[in-house]
Amino acid sequence: MVRLEYIKKQYTRTRRVHGNWYLASYQYKFNVKRINQCLEHLRKGELVGLKCRSCNTVSFPPRLICPKCLKMPDEWVHLRDTATVATFSGTYAQEAGDTEPRPYPVVAIRQDGSDTTWLANLPEGYDFFKVYVGMPLKVKWAEDKKGDFSDIEYYEPIEDPSIEMNKKEEAEK
Amino acid sequence: MEKVGIVGYYQVKPETDIQMSRPEMIFYAARGALDYAGLKRDDLTTVISATNDYYDGKTISNCFTVEAGGAYLKDESKVEMDGAHAVNYGLMRCLSGHHKLALVWGASQPSTFYYSCIRVLENDPTFDRPINLLNDYTAAALGMRAYMNKFGVSVEDIAKVGVKNHKNAAKNPLAWNEAQLPDITVEDILNSEMLSNPVTKLMHALPCDGATALVLAPEGLAKKIIDDPVWITGVGLCQETYYLGDRDLSISVSMEKAAQKAYKLAGINDPRKDIDVVELFEHSAYEELVLAEALGLCEKGKGSSLSSEINGEIPINPSGGNIGAFTPCATGITRIIEAVKQIQGEAKGYQVKDANRAIAHGQIGFCAQNNIVFILEGGKR
Repeated sequence: MVRLEYIKKQYTRTRRVHGNWYLASYQYKFNVKRINQCLEHLRKGELVGLKCRSCNTVSFPPRLICPKCLKMPDEWVHLRDTATVATFSGTYAQEAGDTEPRPYPVVAIRQDGSDTTWLANLPEGYDFFKVYVGMPLKVKWAEDKKGDFSDIEYYEPIEDPSIEMNKKEEAEK
Repeated sequence: MEKVGIVGYYQVKPETDIQMSRPEMIFYAARGALDYAGLKRDDLTTVISATNDYYDGKTISNCFTVEAGGAYLKDESKVEMDGAHAVNYGLMRCLSGHHKLALVWGASQPSTFYYSCIRVLENDPTFDRPINLLNDYTAAALGMRAYMNKFGVSVEDIAKVGVKNHKNAAKNPLAWNEAQLPDITVEDILNSEMLSNPVTKLMHALPCDGATALVLAPEGLAKKIIDDPVWITGVGLCQETYYLGDRDLSISVSMEKAAQKAYKLAGINDPRKDIDVVELFEHSAYEELVLAEALGLCEKGKGSSLSSEINGEIPINPSGGNIGAFTPCATGITRIIEAVKQIQGEAKGYQVKDANRAIAHGQIGFCAQNNIVFILEGGKR
């Protein structure tokens, strides 16, 4: 009976036929040996980036290949635990448990000392309307480190000296 | 570059939920393009399609569209990119001398899948996909924020692009009905549903069903088929790195390089003087400004002060652009067809005066990763 109702629906010319395309169990290979050096440092609470010897570009998270030089960077450099916001958005999504779409912060963060950015977390429930480009952040490490990128639990906003400086400048004007 | 002419084209009217099956839609596009040129299917030597396996829900999806696309017992191939890349493929085949007539078509039906969810599968599986939030409009939001911050452009300036494109779309009978908004204001755009801050629904290109096709022919043959073929005199394409984090999202280096290549082939020195009309594939309103700047039509960061209305200095997207109708895979071909119509003087209602040289553009990837630029010329000058 349900089937008949479906046919009677407003579609007179075409009918939607449901199909599945099972790709959920797809696998891909990832070079673990290369990134393990970075993961070992993460376990110790240190941050390292990969530096390309020919163009001096530092990437964090480490990239396998330097797109500019078509070479495999192999020089590890230590990075500070501070970072800045390169660009950001709050994307409206409705995930399990949400009654209606709400903004989820998506923040591109540049680790100080690195030339690339990555999308990482801010503290849970942080009001994304307070985020701005150039906002200084600091890594908040997870309590028990597992040796993967989740060891960086989130990036904690820190005091921004440039705001005070700007205020002073404006007051002087 | 030896010239290749566009001798026929057809656009299936884009709709939210088209009452046609995929092969049917492709058939009307392919048949329409052949009928325009007055050709038989037997005349074709090669068929190039632009579709996406993810959008079609099956692998090697071109093997199911052979009959509809006119490829039966023909030399057929597929580009899993934008339609404009398929035109480039057809162009190369014509220039090789081994093929005489190329039919190029692109089609998709976003009403049968969730477009923004599929775009998540385009992500790098290690870092970006687990976040599950990086799709077309989040990427547009990251780029828009970077652009606004770098050049001090306001949200209102970007919303104005949306206003212009929606108003232009209202004049184009082949634009998407839901994007044809003649009385839209900046406030309407800013107050529409927030997709990903600061990108709102009306400043973003929303996908709809549609198919387009065009026929390419080498110089000698094109003149025999129709009186006033429009010629492709230059083409350039360029690919950026995938990672958004490796790029400066406020500019488009790949578009700049693609445009320089195309200008060189077509012998264009000053695009501001030489180009009469531009058809851009913009995913979001801010992208039109970034891409126009990369084309050299204005200084970087000054895109919002460019006079780009239909009767403006350099009209951009008189057809309504991609915001006017975004049919994934087909939209690059639509941009070329709209530019051809402007040159032939057949764009009734949104005709740019004395248009003889146009830019048509296609792209693929987040924040215009891969750009392709075509220079099209008529025979008037």
